[in-house]
Amino acid sequence: MYMLKIINEHSEHIVAKVAITEANLNYSNHFKTELVSLLDSKRRAIWLDMEQVSYVDSSFLGSLVAGLKHALSAGNDMVLLKVQKDVHDLLKLIRLDKVFKIYTDEASATIAINKG
Amino acid sequence: MATGISKNILLVDDNPLFLKILSQAFTTAGFNCYTAASGTEALDRLHTFKPDVILSDYEMPGMNGLEFRLNVLQIDALKEIPFLFLTAHEDEGIMYTGLNLQAIDYVLKTTPFDVIVAKLNNLLHTVSKQREITEKEIRKTVAALNIKTVPATLPKLNGFEVDFWHRSYQNIPGGDFIDFIDTKSYLFIVIGDLMGKKWDAWFYTFTYLSYIRAAIRFSVITNDTTTLAGILQQINVVVCQDEGLTNILSSLSLVRIEKQTGKVIYSGAGDLPLLHYRPDTQELTQINSTGMLLGVLPDGFYTEQEIIMAPSDQLFIFTDGLIDISSGGRQKTDYRYFADQMAGYLQAGQSFTNIKDNLRQQAAGLTDDSSIIYIQKTNVHA
Repeated sequence: MYMLKIINEHSEHIVAKVAITEANLNYSNHFKTELVSLLDSKRRAIWLDMEQVSYVDSSFLGSLVAGLKHALSAGNDMVLLKVQKDVHDLLKLIRLDKVFKIYTDEASATIAINKG
Repeated sequence: MATGISKNILLVDDNPLFLKILSQAFTTAGFNCYTAASGTEALDRLHTFKPDVILSDYEMPGMNGLEFRLNVLQIDALKEIPFLFLTAHEDEGIMYTGLNLQAIDYVLKTTPFDVIVAKLNNLLHTVSKQREITEKEIRKTVAALNIKTVPATLPKLNGFEVDFWHRSYQNIPGGDFIDFIDTKSYLFIVIGDLMGKKWDAWFYTFTYLSYIRAAIRFSVITNDTTTLAGILQQINVVVCQDEGLTNILSSLSLVRIEKQTGKVIYSGAGDLPLLHYRPDTQELTQINSTGMLLGVLPDGFYTEQEIIMAPSDQLFIFTDGLIDISSGGRQKTDYRYFADQMAGYLQAGQSFTNIKDNLRQQAAGLTDDSSIIYIQKTNVHA
């Protein structure tokens, strides 16, 4: 894995860090391939730690949504953690905040998901 | 030789002194040098930076040059970058293995610097020429197909002025598309951004545009019983069901102007909020839509709204390339910044022609397709 670094593995989900700062069209196709292969090999939900990502372009957003759709079709889920303000603002502007589950960190995601 | 060609080079060598000397020689020769002391450090740098060429030492502790090359080859975004090995001595076995890994050449460390620089300049020049030839061929094919993603002419509409500005990233037709569909009773204004990559995106826009045009035409043929939100939902359902468009998403803003009454209706799918400017109060307000990007979910939650436009009011619909800004060498997305900039232009009384000039000047720094449609109400309708 090049852009996705696994931080934590749990029985129900794994936490992977997105190791890119400017997530643009140079990386989007390869990122999608990595994300799909991680979902297929781990067969559980994936929580993406977005702390490093300060910018996403539309083609990279497309890859994130493609990953989510792939996860959902296999009965899994995809969650975004530690999304930087600019990126979060963009997700809200185009309503993708309603598509992704977004949490400030792993602890708050764990609480929210266990409650739900 | 290679004037005007981007010359960012990544130098990888575990010998700090050699790295420094090489870096100085390349900088003097007009290259932008980035250095890494190991293959691991180089791979880390490549997360955030894509050089035009990589020059790597072969013998390094830990990850050697061949292993570094293998890692680079596994990454789609990086494998096409020209790669050269630096070696301390000639070893045919090593050279053979390296050349099998698509390394373009070997450079002996004993080679004079001006010769290394000349080699690199030649290489970059050849790569650039090859790219130019390929793009020229594709452009010729596009021209022969006579298909456009932005209209060649502006619509004429009583009581309104409509104009637009579009610039494709690196002059490669990409994901943005614009269309004006003129029917007996209505003008439909369409602007979207397909979330894909360069030529791929350009190709898929035609499928999207075909669905959009068909959905709008059918709604007209069936006596306009379908609402704008209904049209968006129909397009969305077809896109979600089309196996050829799996994971191809698009934003879409759809505006319908009723010719007789001047009534303006808007519905959006994952698009950026529109900007509405009222010259009498000098207010610039944001108009939000509710719908999801096309192709995400079978139910896109589309709604529509009427935009009440007084004479002289202006409406701006745009894609996300315009809200990308480069600040301190870093890329960021800032809708507010763009809206404030527009407010400044409009409050200073600038026309859309002036605004287009401003956008053109800023276009060099933009890193995505950028499009904006301008609609001004000029008359009072009955």
